[in-house]
Amino acid sequence: MSGTKGPADLEREVLKEKLCTACGACVGLCPYFSTVQGRVVMTDSCNLPQGRCHAFCPRTKADMRKLRSVFFKEGQFIPELGSFLGLSMTRASDENIRAGSQHGGSVTALVELAMKEGVIDSAVLTRSDHGLDPSGLFVSRPEDVRQCLGSSFQIPPGLEILNRTLKENRYRKIGVVGTPCKTLAVYKMQNRQFEDDPQQPSRIGMVFGLFCGWGIDWQGLERMVKSKASLERVKHIDIPPSQYGIMEVETADGRIEIPLEEIYPIIRYSCRFCADMTAEFADLSIGGARSSAGWDFDRGWNQIIVRTKRGKELLDLARDRGVLEFREAAPANLDKLKKASSNKKKKAIQAIIEKTGDVNNLLYLDPFDPSLENLLPEMK
Amino acid sequence: MSIIDLDAPGQTVLMMGNEAIARGALEGGIQLAAAYPGTPSSEIIGSLAEVAEKMGIYVEWSVNEKVALEVAVSASMAGLRSITAMKQNGLDVASDYLLTLTITGAKAGVVLVVCDDPSSHSSSNEQDSRAFARIGDIPLFEPSTFQEAKDMTQYALELSEELKTIVMLRGVTRISHARGNVTLGSLPRLQRRAKFDTSSPFHYAPVVPKHALVHEKLARAKEYFEASPFNRYEGPDRPDLMIITSGSGMAYTREALSLMGLEDSVGILKMGTTWPVPERLIGKHLPRAQKILFVEEVDPFLESNVKEISADLTPALEISPRTFYGKRSGHIPMVGELNTDRVVDALKRVLGTPYVPRDAAYAKRVREMNKEFVPERVLGFCPGCPHRASLWSIKNALKLDDRDGFLTGDIGCYALARTPSGFSLAKTAGAMGTGTGLACGFGKLGRFGFDQPVISICGDSTFFHAAMPALVNAQYNRSNFVMCILDNGTTAMTGFQTHPGVGRNAVGVPGPAVDIESICRSLKVKVEVRDPFDLKGTGEVLTRLFQEEGVKVIILKRKCALQRLKGESPPYKVHIDPDKCIGEECGCNRVCTRVFRCPGIIWDLEARKSKVDEVICVGCGVCADVCPNSAIVKEEA
Repeated sequence: MSGTKGPADLEREVLKEKLCTACGACVGLCPYFSTVQGRVVMTDSCNLPQGRCHAFCPRTKADMRKLRSVFFKEGQFIPELGSFLGLSMTRASDENIRAGSQHGGSVTALVELAMKEGVIDSAVLTRSDHGLDPSGLFVSRPEDVRQCLGSSFQIPPGLEILNRTLKENRYRKIGVVGTPCKTLAVYKMQNRQFEDDPQQPSRIGMVFGLFCGWGIDWQGLERMVKSKASLERVKHIDIPPSQYGIMEVETADGRIEIPLEEIYPIIRYSCRFCADMTAEFADLSIGGARSSAGWDFDRGWNQIIVRTKRGKELLDLARDRGVLEFREAAPANLDKLKKASSNKKKKAIQAIIEKTGDVNNLLYLDPFDPSLENLLPEMK
Repeated sequence: MSIIDLDAPGQTVLMMGNEAIARGALEGGIQLAAAYPGTPSSEIIGSLAEVAEKMGIYVEWSVNEKVALEVAVSASMAGLRSITAMKQNGLDVASDYLLTLTITGAKAGVVLVVCDDPSSHSSSNEQDSRAFARIGDIPLFEPSTFQEAKDMTQYALELSEELKTIVMLRGVTRISHARGNVTLGSLPRLQRRAKFDTSSPFHYAPVVPKHALVHEKLARAKEYFEASPFNRYEGPDRPDLMIITSGSGMAYTREALSLMGLEDSVGILKMGTTWPVPERLIGKHLPRAQKILFVEEVDPFLESNVKEISADLTPALEISPRTFYGKRSGHIPMVGELNTDRVVDALKRVLGTPYVPRDAAYAKRVREMNKEFVPERVLGFCPGCPHRASLWSIKNALKLDDRDGFLTGDIGCYALARTPSGFSLAKTAGAMGTGTGLACGFGKLGRFGFDQPVISICGDSTFFHAAMPALVNAQYNRSNFVMCILDNGTTAMTGFQTHPGVGRNAVGVPGPAVDIESICRSLKVKVEVRDPFDLKGTGEVLTRLFQEEGVKVIILKRKCALQRLKGESPPYKVHIDPDKCIGEECGCNRVCTRVFRCPGIIWDLEARKSKVDEVICVGCGVCADVCPNSAIVKEEA
């Protein structure tokens, strides 16, 4: 048996506390967890005292120092950013990819390449056809990867798809693209040694983490968009990098702009307690570029943190094959990133302390996590 | 094969009480019978339906008990004898017309049989329907034996015709469903021609003079009852105790007296006509004993009426006030069915007679023996029942919706929605159609902060019976809830009687089927129709419906598993792959046997795996979609 706690604990600690990120790590393992519209629900209890659902959840407490040491032996550890082997500015060489992406389309290009080259044999991605109602998608052919171009702001429970794929026991090198909560869950999944399934941990081929400030409440976004446009006519939703801070809703009748001030109140509640901006658990973590050169310089470009050797190898391959275009990332970029990441960590700790009313109760956060322990004394 | 039309006067045959009543109706010359099925009354009209063609009578399953009564009374008005039969809850439905009918009066003999269900073996209440006889000033019979069940029915028809008013006959489960010897009379085969005499209308106005007429009829009935052979005294002239009893109480009383050896010291006044109570008869027997014990089912009906008469008569009889024992004194329990033990217990307390029926360990030994011979079963849906699948989807959709939604239950097999077999979903239970009526109201509480989704359920037969007006009300008043109609194509719980949606009438003649879907669509409510065995599709529709405003109907259509068995072979051969079944491990922990709970799957205690019970599995294959590990395999049969 796995884990030390079970579904009743998960329900009490995470679901009832509304800490659930709806990553889907607990869904698809058993018949008792389901998701709908960005919510995870336990429809019945298995009545077992211990379970994978609790062990995999990114919002249950884990020994983070140990988890980091198991998987990140190759890089330098930066408290604000996690494991670090380098920072690059990239964008997809293919204009078609770039045209449909939020930033530079590097994730799509990398996943496509990894699959073509056999680095991964399949991938769990997120697809959002009309800007809303995204869903997890399993692909095993490189030509299907582009269906998942662009970002979605409602976060779908994609790891349900991963769980089902692992159960199917057909693919051996599965790539996973996901927000920080999801990629953390993937590492917690790999960390467990299953008596019943010793092969499972090694079946993850590559993890692509996405920088994430926050996600938006599923129904909140739907209501927001609905108040401004007819949902059926929405084609695409994006938050392009700019100093103006707007969400762009492309509809069949033209573009609607929603200031981010209107979006902040409908940020997913659980995202306020997230301390990871850069997806610290990943082989490669990718986000929009933020350099000191300004918005115009950054627009259409990604920034990639390389965290593992296998991540670096894929990035090198992308350079060799000409799949990505590269720009030198200035040292100032790293400082900017550290600062942004650190801000998110501080906000999360603050929000948690406000929620618990107890500086010593950090809920799921591990006070000995090396990415947090420096911040904690000043927070308290 | 029915025995109720056996043309053998004088022959004694074994008959179920309900059959005896049906036989009495035939001997009494009925030409029409109508009812809505309801346990324990269903076999009365059911057995008449079987012989309808041969006997040249008209028999129908009506849409509800009120309509059944109206249909029966129409025959009476047109000069034909008729009968209707219902359970106690059905009488409540019919009571609106019943209590006016006594004012308007009837013409040819018409009898209403009501079968009470003490201890509520298959009912939603424990009711003493004799109260209706008193409220409505209706002559009332209570058979104590199967012979009486037949004879009283026949006589009740004659009395009804004589008095031109409806007459009631009250049975209980143990009369309806037990069997005993009945000596048959002749079948008269009345062949009256039906004709409504337009010069003699049946109006209730003017009510007050007609009410007076009702009391005159009642007084005449009382006169007949004073000399009725259905009332009789047995026992010593001056007993230590006189028991006044009626109905099934008679058998328990006799058995108790015999067990305790009290036949020579305790007398029994058995009453077969219990409303109006024949006063002179009571006055004749009251002086026999100082102590009087009442033994009757459910309410202290005889007890109250006799005590009332006793208060009036005692001075004239020049006797000391009697001491009465019964429900009011606590010697007979106020609730629950009578049995011999209860009568024995009352006798012990009244007479101070010590009696030990059996040694204390006996009951324990019986329980232990039972364990060996009778497998332990909990009340639940049959293997392959579509209701289990429907409720499974409703449960999941309500959980996914996550707003503390709930289900309002109704009357039918799906009343089991309150039990673990129905995932304990139903949070309210009431009368026929109440689920939808309540949902109607809940759906209007939004302005007071009510934000829980509500889903009502009802069966196809219940839809026609009483849920339809609630749905119309919901649409008219713009309520907000989901109504789920579990359409299994029959009136399953009472024994597969036909109903308007089936396309066949009570005697099996094909006819137009009333289409539930079309009715709902005509109300302009949103209607979805799904196969409950499609768990995924049903779940998705329900999830969507919970989010939509207004009145939504989902019809989950699948033939009753028991009915299907009669004509079709199982669609799938189901087995469980033991290599794939992960049993109690993380990832399942027996979802099929622990949560889904179809009795067709059993838990193998030794192998720690599930397996199919091939004897009772009907091959519906739904469990295959519940298993998380594809261990349950369904193959086309």
